[in-house]
Amino acid sequence: MFSFIASSVIPWPAGLFSVRSGFRRGSACGWRRAGALAAALAALALTGCSGKANSEPVAQGTQAAPADKYTHPATDYAEQGKGIPGGTLRVAVASDTGSLDLHAISHTNAQWIGRILYDNLVYLDAKGDISPWLATSWTISPDGKTYVFHLRHDVTFSDGAKFNAEAVKINLEHMRDPATRSPLAAAYIAPYVDGKVIDDYTFEAHLREPYAPFLNVLAQSWLAMESPKAILDHPKTLGDHPVGSGPFVLQSYTRQRGMVFVKRKDYHWAPEQVHHLGPAYLDRIEISFVAEPMIRYNALIAGQYDLTTDAPPQDAAAIRANPELAFDSRVRTGVPYRGIVFNTSKAPFDDVRVRKAVALSVDRVGIVQMIGFGEYQPKTDFLAANTKYYDPSFRNALKYDPAEANKLLDEAGWTGRDAEGYRTRDGKRLSMEVLTSTSYANTPVLAAIQSDTKKVGVDLTITRLPPTEYTQRRNDDAYQALGGGVWHTNTPDALYILYDSHEITSAKRIGQNSSRLRDAQLDDLLGRARQSTDPAVLRDLYSKAQQRLTELVPGIPLYDNYSSIAYHRYVKGLVFDTSHNTVYFPSLWLQKGAP
Amino acid sequence: MKLLKRILWRLLASVGVLWGAATLTFVTINITGGDTALAILGGPDALPTAAALARVRAEYGLDQPLIVQYGHYIGRLAHGDLGESYRLRIPVTQAISQQIGATIELALCAGVIGIALSVLLAILTAGRTRWMQSLSSGTELVLSSMPSFVLGILLLLAFSFHWHWFPVFDATGWRGMALPALTLALPIVAVLTQVLRQELEDILEQPFIVTARARGMSDMAVRLRHALRHAMIPIVTLSGFIFASLLGGAVVVETLFVRQGIGSLMVDAATNKDVPVVLGITLLAALIYTAVNIAVDILYGLIDPRMRVA
Repeated sequence: MFSFIASSVIPWPAGLFSVRSGFRRGSACGWRRAGALAAALAALALTGCSGKANSEPVAQGTQAAPADKYTHPATDYAEQGKGIPGGTLRVAVASDTGSLDLHAISHTNAQWIGRILYDNLVYLDAKGDISPWLATSWTISPDGKTYVFHLRHDVTFSDGAKFNAEAVKINLEHMRDPATRSPLAAAYIAPYVDGKVIDDYTFEAHLREPYAPFLNVLAQSWLAMESPKAILDHPKTLGDHPVGSGPFVLQSYTRQRGMVFVKRKDYHWAPEQVHHLGPAYLDRIEISFVAEPMIRYNALIAGQYDLTTDAPPQDAAAIRANPELAFDSRVRTGVPYRGIVFNTSKAPFDDVRVRKAVALSVDRVGIVQMIGFGEYQPKTDFLAANTKYYDPSFRNALKYDPAEANKLLDEAGWTGRDAEGYRTRDGKRLSMEVLTSTSYANTPVLAAIQSDTKKVGVDLTITRLPPTEYTQRRNDDAYQALGGGVWHTNTPDALYILYDSHEITSAKRIGQNSSRLRDAQLDDLLGRARQSTDPAVLRDLYSKAQQRLTELVPGIPLYDNYSSIAYHRYVKGLVFDTSHNTVYFPSLWLQKGAP
Repeated sequence: MKLLKRILWRLLASVGVLWGAATLTFVTINITGGDTALAILGGPDALPTAAALARVRAEYGLDQPLIVQYGHYIGRLAHGDLGESYRLRIPVTQAISQQIGATIELALCAGVIGIALSVLLAILTAGRTRWMQSLSSGTELVLSSMPSFVLGILLLLAFSFHWHWFPVFDATGWRGMALPALTLALPIVAVLTQVLRQELEDILEQPFIVTARARGMSDMAVRLRHALRHAMIPIVTLSGFIFASLLGGAVVVETLFVRQGIGSLMVDAATNKDVPVVLGITLLAALIYTAVNIAVDILYGLIDPRMRVA
């Protein structure tokens, strides 16, 4: 789901403590400027040795090289050798999810927290296909509307409750119960009508319409299986007292400070794909919420933490140069980060030539170096490369080409120039307002885009709004363009969520098609993909959809969205989750002699 | 009797202040616009269903006219009910009580360190040689103009990351408390020492000091027994400032040092638009300020007998 680089910026109460917040913003700018310089240097260093990064002896093979690969090897997703049990892993994490009832939140960190506390019905294999987990097998009716799940018999929740068909039913009900106030899980199972307990370990789900991504979403942690007993006994306090069937149990959760998980000794039902079925190696995982990236980095170096998630890209070069540490940044599945999302229903972006021209005018390489410090890969198409059915054929369609941008703008009739050098048509300047929320840290990206579009005569203004006002204007269709957005999901159905015309926000429902794109051809492709489970058909449909999107240009893809971690090399056994490419904690272990 | 009456008046006035604070925050939050129900359900980056939206609107009375919402809000406040946190899904009173202990602990530590250090420094430097004074006041100037964010990072860089004396975060024990308390205390020391020294220097010129010296008292004894008591008055006067820096500083310090507490709760609530928590903490701050002011009023009378007559 959503996360922008907000994790690299201290959360700050805007305007509440004006003097200090004013200072902080100033300092952030200073850092960014200093950062730009560092980025340029880092970029030089990295381009100079991008080949070398691969040939370097890497302790575990899991240290993804910076920005030179779109995909990751299958060995990253399964245990490669036995580890040593015992020990405590100390982890620094940028932010608190606020609740551990994953059905009730949309926080990105749920992706890996879920694998610690909970299990899901299914898991993905390294190729992105569905594989068994708590469900050992399943059948889908020919009309695609009835799913029958056969469940494991030997799974228990940490409160003693049994995992069975009734538990699945209660979980699906809990996800969509309005009282849960689900920001995500409920929408992901929207086609679910009701379920039937056939016998203790057979569950039948009825869908309103064929919905092929159903199994994919069931593999995501937001749709994890919680204890049915806990759901019924204390639904209001699940956030503080979560009960799952996962390899760890929550020992304590102190908001704003951290959480402690302890190993469940009788756990033996991990997903087969991970090749580690038994209990976790680690006895304990201690997580601290460290908002400030600079402190996460320094405390890691000082040995106060063994691993940090949300590893700051600005420190990547230093960490990679340190023989005791490792840095790993990997593409999150779903859609790449879009610098700007055009409102295709409003002038000037109702004209595809203008959209395409603006997209072609953006020099991504510079922007990506500024933001990613050499860790990020520029991106010009609309699906993350490690997402199932990604087709690389169209990845140069929107490459930086200011000459072509100028040509398109001329064709669109924006041939005049005003005193400031901006293009005009019938005396009106070609200008656009991009809205962004003060809770996103994307102003530097927008400012860079602004200076690029100026070169082809497009006047771009940036308006920063408080989050609620931003949401309101977005939902009221009162914008020409929005700044930024990503969507993490483990299926190319992300394209339906972001670009199908059914997903346009209306009075009746909230949707994520902020481009307000209405294209019959694309709707047809994405709609049919939801109804098919045939890989050959899906490959064809999603390929055509990706091509169509590069023709429609509903936004400016900038770079792949990354999940980055840094750790001491005595932390072994790194395996990544197949759904979101985040670190899978239950397989980690500590080498002897680790502090 | 007079004192009692004055305290009663002050209590009544503080209810007014609290009502004002509650109303102002309510108005501020509502004029910025935007859909609160959407904010509760994850903001712009979520996919809440229509049923969930309707449920939230009804549950929080968001479908009611503003004036009705205001009435409900004040009514609930009168009963001590601060509502439920949007993000944490627990009552605000519970969210605050989970965190306040840690903040009080930190503030007390910092307050004690701050006042003790200031008194010590002021007594040692008042009326001393020029170079000692300029060194002291130079340091004070730098410290008081340095944002606690920078101060905290400098302390961390030196004592945690470089010399490894103190960890960034330590769940138990004094070692985890040292740097955050110091970060919070030093800006207070910087201001208080300046004021105290000035005050002490004025007092040391007074005739009664000359009398005391004439009796043969040592210089240190004069400073400690006679001058200090007079100089304590500005500390009491400045207690509002001290509380403000402790509370405001906690916001920065708790975030920086991975501490739980009201400050980090506030940061979290403000960034996540958790309005009930923001309101709750604002009211708590207003409550603390009024309480401090009343306490200061009473303390004046106790420390300075001249105030009792007035």
